[in-house]
Amino acid sequence: MEQSVRDEILTKLKAAPKAAFPARPHLPPYKTLSMDREQLIAEFINRLAEEAVVVHRAKDFPEALEKLTVVALEEGLKKVMATTDDVVLRLDLPAWGKKNDIQVMTPEDFPDRESYRDAVFDQAQAGITGVDFAVAESATIGLVHNKDQARLVSLAPILHIAIAPVDRLVPAYEQVIEKVFGNKKHYPSQFVFISGPSMTGDIQGVLFKGMHGPRKVIVILVG
Amino acid sequence: MEIKTEQFTELAKKELKNDRQRLFLKLIPPVMRMKREAGFGTLPDAPAAMACGAAIRAEAMARLPELLEEFEKNATANGMKVVWTRDDKEANEFIRNLAKEKGIQYVTKGKSMVTEETALNEVLEEHGIEVWETDLGEFIAQQLHRTPFHIVGPAINVPVEEVRDLFIEKIGLKEPTLDPVQLGYAARLFLRDKFHHVKMGITGVNMAVAETGTIINVENEGNIRFTKASPPIQVSVMSLEKVIPTMKDALHLVRLLCRSCTGQRLSVYVSMDSGPKKKDEIDGPEELYIVIVDNGRSKIYQDVKAREVLRCIRCGACLAGCPVWRQIGGYAYGWAYSGPMGQVLNPVLLGLDKTQELYRASTLCGACKSICPVGIDHPSLFLYYRSKDVLEDPIFKSKDRPWAERQFFRIWSFAASAPWLWNLGVRMARPFINKDARDGIISKTIGPSAGWFRKRDLPSMAGFTFHDRWKKMQNTESRGQKSE
Repeated sequence: MEQSVRDEILTKLKAAPKAAFPARPHLPPYKTLSMDREQLIAEFINRLAEEAVVVHRAKDFPEALEKLTVVALEEGLKKVMATTDDVVLRLDLPAWGKKNDIQVMTPEDFPDRESYRDAVFDQAQAGITGVDFAVAESATIGLVHNKDQARLVSLAPILHIAIAPVDRLVPAYEQVIEKVFGNKKHYPSQFVFISGPSMTGDIQGVLFKGMHGPRKVIVILVG
Repeated sequence: MEIKTEQFTELAKKELKNDRQRLFLKLIPPVMRMKREAGFGTLPDAPAAMACGAAIRAEAMARLPELLEEFEKNATANGMKVVWTRDDKEANEFIRNLAKEKGIQYVTKGKSMVTEETALNEVLEEHGIEVWETDLGEFIAQQLHRTPFHIVGPAINVPVEEVRDLFIEKIGLKEPTLDPVQLGYAARLFLRDKFHHVKMGITGVNMAVAETGTIINVENEGNIRFTKASPPIQVSVMSLEKVIPTMKDALHLVRLLCRSCTGQRLSVYVSMDSGPKKKDEIDGPEELYIVIVDNGRSKIYQDVKAREVLRCIRCGACLAGCPVWRQIGGYAYGWAYSGPMGQVLNPVLLGLDKTQELYRASTLCGACKSICPVGIDHPSLFLYYRSKDVLEDPIFKSKDRPWAERQFFRIWSFAASAPWLWNLGVRMARPFINKDARDGIISKTIGPSAGWFRKRDLPSMAGFTFHDRWKKMQNTESRGQKSE
């Protein structure tokens, strides 16, 4: 039956009169495309500030870890959930957790969705993730979801700490799309762009952060 | 949801009496407009970007069947299950059966206009499946049993007192407050528990990319991401015009959509699914269904002019841009889609016979057309629908104009067909029309055209037509020449 509904709809659409469509106008390139490295970084940081994202800059991973320790102290973190992506792995968070008396959970610690959901919803005070991309155009971070980048870690905890290596910063979305969707065989199940903390203005137009997702996003820029 | 599009005039009158709402409608749209303009200001060439948006949507519509097939092929290869449905009944039935089969007790929902259109929530609830709208505005609108006031802020008009009372009643708000932020957090806590344990999530689709078989959702709150990440089953419902040729096109439209909606460069979350979760992933859907809904669109598609409404990407900019919407708000339009967007969309989806007032509640000022990021020409569509009524088009379910109006225009066109008839008619009509004139101005009259004069005057008809005066002048001149 479903096949016939499909065919019926498509046949109907195909039988409709054909129409011409206008050519695409020329679009001037985004201004971030003509920026050099330092300008891009400055643009990214400025835009993040506009989105009320807290930015820390570290020259390398050991310094990033120091920044993370300061953040953990300020935020009073005792229990966090971290992903196991290549950026986070370089920080060796389990060792860091032991040293600072912070319990670091990872999605891999849980045998099933239920227990993982319990932990990420109710126990994790923060989610720590790496980023696959940072985009200067709108101060956006891009996460490729896979087994090492679980979706709820950057979403369910009230605080999201994102570790962004500077070499992953690109000027505009097109460069990201090329990389994520360039290889036809290997699309990620989900890819997400995140620009700042979750927010809404649905009651009387009053804007506030932290509607369903994180109320606060902290980006540690490395390099 | 009861369709009230036929009651537009009465509803509009009622809404005009809501002083608080009108104050709100005075304050918010200018802010939205400013934000929107600032947002477009960040594009290197905003008019070109909008023209490009129009070109992308025009191409998507011209190539619709082919793009749908390409999307289906790629989405299926990505592991999604694509389901085609003719109308609201079939779409709702599929989702209901799926939920039943999986033993679902409740679902969380991301805002989806097409499911407002198909009234999915009512069907699921009739069958004992709880539905939780999770977009804050949509959640409030759902609990109040109202249609969306605005497509982006469905309950943005609801006074905080009403939200407080609603939350005390429905979600056990413990500490009554009038602070929108605290009310929002109360909803957060309540819905968080729903997200935590949910087994099936339902979302809409902002764009379906043919090239990659990817669906894209654009949001600020995170409720759609939760609805797609937490439960093992995801159902995403799309009306069939959502398809876009390429990922690059989609990203361009996302740029326009976010700026047009809220003035943001990019919404907080733009999530793109290309299939269910992989085996080794711990969250995300194990099964991902894409329900394609036709619901009359393939019929609209047959008409090359009316097809233009299918370009709409639901940014909602035309609402706050419309001088009529800014007076009456979104409820008077009587259905899921309000403002100019609803005025062009509802008539073709519901039939002209049920939406007569919608495409007449316009002065054709063109504010909507000027801000539409995908180049929809609303005023020309209003005129097109009006012409369908006169031409008695059965496909559009047109409705005859009232008898008196038809007779009037029949006589008018007859009278205008020959000069002598016209002149005779003018001479005969003059005393009738001028009977209410005072000092050359008609300010009021009685009879069927009385309403027109409530806010307007008409100059009275001149005692002599131009032809009369011309003839007289010629005579005087020739007499003058003779006497010389």
